[in-house]
Amino acid sequence: MPATRPRTRGILRPRLPLRWRVAIAFAAVSLAITGLLAAATWHLASSYLLAKREQGATSQAAVDARLVQDALRDPARDGSDDLLQGLAGGGEITVAVRRNDTWTTSGRQLDVDALPPDLLALAGSGTAARQRIVAGGIPVLAVAVPLQGAVYVELVPLSELDATLRFLSGVLVAGVGVSGLLGLALGGWAGKRALRPLTDLRDAAARVAAGDLDARLPEQDDADLAPLAATFNRTAEDLRRRVRRDARFASDVSHELRSPLTTLVNAVAVLRRRRDELPPTARQAVDLLDADVHRFGKMVTDLLEISREEQIDERDLEVCDVVDIVTHAVGARRGIAVEVEGTPPKVLVDRRRLDRVVGNLLDNADHHAGGAVRIGVSTCADGVRIEVDDAGPGIPPELREEVFERFSRGANAGRRDGGGGAGLGLALVARHVRAHQGRIRIEDSPAGGARVVVVIPGGSG
Amino acid sequence: MSSMTSTPHPGPAASPARADRPARVDVRERVLLVDDDGRIRQALSLALDDEGFTVATAPSGEEALATLGRDTVDLVLLDLMLPGTDGLTVCRRLRAQGDLPIIIITARSDSADVIAGLEAGADDYVTKPIVAGELAARIRALLRRRRPGAQAARLQVGDIEVRPDEGVVRSNRGPEPAEVHLTRTEFRLLVELAAAEGRVVTREDLLRRVWGYDYLGDTRLLDVHVRRLRCKIERDPDHPTLVLTVRGAGYRAAGRSDAGD
Repeated sequence: MPATRPRTRGILRPRLPLRWRVAIAFAAVSLAITGLLAAATWHLASSYLLAKREQGATSQAAVDARLVQDALRDPARDGSDDLLQGLAGGGEITVAVRRNDTWTTSGRQLDVDALPPDLLALAGSGTAARQRIVAGGIPVLAVAVPLQGAVYVELVPLSELDATLRFLSGVLVAGVGVSGLLGLALGGWAGKRALRPLTDLRDAAARVAAGDLDARLPEQDDADLAPLAATFNRTAEDLRRRVRRDARFASDVSHELRSPLTTLVNAVAVLRRRRDELPPTARQAVDLLDADVHRFGKMVTDLLEISREEQIDERDLEVCDVVDIVTHAVGARRGIAVEVEGTPPKVLVDRRRLDRVVGNLLDNADHHAGGAVRIGVSTCADGVRIEVDDAGPGIPPELREEVFERFSRGANAGRRDGGGGAGLGLALVARHVRAHQGRIRIEDSPAGGARVVVVIPGGSG
Repeated sequence: MSSMTSTPHPGPAASPARADRPARVDVRERVLLVDDDGRIRQALSLALDDEGFTVATAPSGEEALATLGRDTVDLVLLDLMLPGTDGLTVCRRLRAQGDLPIIIITARSDSADVIAGLEAGADDYVTKPIVAGELAARIRALLRRRRPGAQAARLQVGDIEVRPDEGVVRSNRGPEPAEVHLTRTEFRLLVELAAAEGRVVTREDLLRRVWGYDYLGDTRLLDVHVRRLRCKIERDPDHPTLVLTVRGAGYRAAGRSDAGD
């Protein structure tokens, strides 16, 4: 069976979020369409303007050429120079006449050698011609008209048209750019909108994963999204029902066990009171019975507690001094140093549960590590920190998560003698700490054993 | 035909256990245990008998009420889950008749169940599995409540006058002093608060002194009783002026300035 491989990504498809890919696609399409339109507009407008200009220049040149022709034909009043000067006007235009290989120019300075020979040849052979050239550093339209025995050339500058076209192209490029940006924004917005159900789904899934089994997706009208929402909600509902059912089962079981347990506990108490009247064998049996009935009782109580709603009832919250709770929990236990650092703030907690946390940690140290040696209470960044140190063998790092699992016996797996814990103690601790939005972890104690660190958040209430 | 099931334990005078504790013969308190589970009735009867109580039992609410109508009982242990007339109804009916101490037995320690029982008038509650030794401590603490220790003969909280040695509470609110009827628990609670003369009494102290809890007391127990006490002595229980809550600490009675000592 081939191992599943992550799909190879193309070089052009870097790892971008879907939303950005949508936005970029929008921008690209928008750029392509507006670019095409702009190109067409540019092409049409520029060729139209140019054609118009050329046509105007050509007819003007034809009229001018006729005037020059008339002037040349009448050598008596050889005023062709004046005429040329007049035709050149303000100096924008350059006019030139070639007669017998002699150039007469007027208007803007012109280097006649720069005129394209093809154009002159064409005009020389009797055909009017025009060509766009660059003369004197500016674009011009050169119109050559054949005269009798001469060639008339008129150079009309196109710089004005050029500026217009440059402006037009600037506008078009800017338009394309803006439309690309708009496409990007629109794509981003549409992507966000389209992905909102997915975002909701992600948030809801995260909430479910974090333990909020009541998280649901809103009903969707969209035919594409409705099944997704429905499936998610159904799955979440199934999960919730199953979790509830499991919890109720554990709760029902321990409730059902409570009645016979009451009978057992009290019957054993009656026997124990008469222990001295019993023969040695029966006495031993009563002792065994007594010890295990109590262990059983504790297990049932723990089981019931662990199957209860994890969420804390607001009515059970009160402002408590952790030092007080720790001192009470230590109570008559011997050999435990309570070290208080500074004045830890009072915290808003369910006192009963915090009592269980500290009590169970001490019990656990008793059962597995020969008893706690130190409890430290100190202030930390976000609340109160409780440390329980023992002098036992410590807990190897790979077991530090596992010991908080139900019925995990950690390093003591397989050792069930000695009236140890029911295996629920630390699970209950973790649960209660979690219910307070606290943290719990296991470290190495400087004393050589294990150190359980509990942080209960909250400042002075 | 007695609905009162006598315990299968050796008879009163002949009991060797009794002979060991001759001083207790006269003061054996009578407890009525109401539970529909026959085995629990038997086992608890045996164990409570060992603890020094005379135990009568009843399997249902009806029989419990019948027994109480006939015999004198010092305290009732009442399971809330009973066939027929349920525990809460029995509890309310008993409370309406007087201040007979009632401890309810619940299988569930959920807030709702316990609070319902306390609201119905119970003085205390225990959760299954019941350990006779712990239950006996509860019972003793409750029975002690009617015998408060030697204290001032007369305490004053606002216009409420308390005479601990007589077990009487009078309200001087109207034109004529009127007696206020409190249960033993409420009375004891009021005495503890009044004796502190305006100082704060912590929840733990109240739970220890009134209910005999060593530490792990249930504060719901206290809150429900304070509420009931307020209903009886305050002008407006929603805006108390006599029994004041000190958030995060406990309760205190109205200050000495209000008291005419």
